[in-house]
Amino acid sequence: MSAPTLSHRRSPFLTGIHEALPLLGSYLPIAMSFGLIAIQTGFSAWEAVFISTVIYAGGSQFLFVGMIASGAPLWLVVTLSLLINARHMVYGPNIAPWVTDSRWWPWLVHGLTDQVFAMAYNRMPDIPEAERVGWFSGVMITAWAGWITGTAVGALGGEQLMSQWPLFGEVAAFALPALLLVLLAPLVTSFQWLVSLCFTTMAAIVMALTGYANLAIPLSALLGAACFYAMNDRHNRSVR
Amino acid sequence: MDSSLWIAVVVTAVGTFAMRLVPLLWMRQQLKKHHDKNAIEVIPGWISLLGPLMIAAMLGVSMMPGTPGLASWLATLGGAVATLVAWKYTRTLGLPVLAGVVAFGLLRVLF
Repeated sequence: MSAPTLSHRRSPFLTGIHEALPLLGSYLPIAMSFGLIAIQTGFSAWEAVFISTVIYAGGSQFLFVGMIASGAPLWLVVTLSLLINARHMVYGPNIAPWVTDSRWWPWLVHGLTDQVFAMAYNRMPDIPEAERVGWFSGVMITAWAGWITGTAVGALGGEQLMSQWPLFGEVAAFALPALLLVLLAPLVTSFQWLVSLCFTTMAAIVMALTGYANLAIPLSALLGAACFYAMNDRHNRSVR
Repeated sequence: MDSSLWIAVVVTAVGTFAMRLVPLLWMRQQLKKHHDKNAIEVIPGWISLLGPLMIAAMLGVSMMPGTPGLASWLATLGGAVATLVAWKYTRTLGLPVLAGVVAFGLLRVLF
């Protein structure tokens, strides 16, 4: 009997591209904003594109150009940019059980961003082993290309585009929360998970509202974990 | 950009890449060492817990409207409900996202 495949019509690579298309709805407006801000703070279009290509981490890129523009010392700029990206350290171990021995993986993890991780965590367990590299490559390259293209468009003509369609960026950006909702929905397998996930989301909203958007992801996830374990303890006590 | 700024970009890029790669390689080694066990048993509990919670936290941050206000929050709520309803009936990835974006866009234009 042959192993199950992703689709009888598309290759795993094309399936990855297809499934990553919703990501572009959020990547393009944010990358365009980055390109625009980079130009406004004194970087050239090529420098902005280079930063998006090699660093490829939204929050830290905004911080990086912002701090450089404000004249902060370089060691502080690098340290804070890396601190913001420290949350990525949890992503690799979470998808490790589904990563194969292919020599491509060490290069592909350059594209393990927040959103790509969310997709990989949700989809890779269902993808046959032989098709995972192809699928992940499709997702990674689509998202990366979208991020680089968005930066270039923002740097070269973002101001005019944003002023012509002021709602475009805001509406297209809703693709990201919609996608994350779809990825989270199947993970709600118990009341404990439902409460912990809702608590984490609410905590992140409150932190983002109070101006701590960069800290919101790791901190609210830690608070959510505390909530999860607290419910565990309570359940164990009531059983005893 | 002067040379020190180029170096800062490269150091940040290499550091970010290492933070994505090294923990993955470490966990792969752990999994190989314990190949007789179920992969889920090898991953420390707190790491497998933080995965979904990080996604939930990303959701919270991404829900912040570009221009905060009652109309934006209503559109966000409407978009979220449309997404979940579409997911409940289709169990797919693309259609619920499209439904959410359309509902969000309509509500933003109407209010």
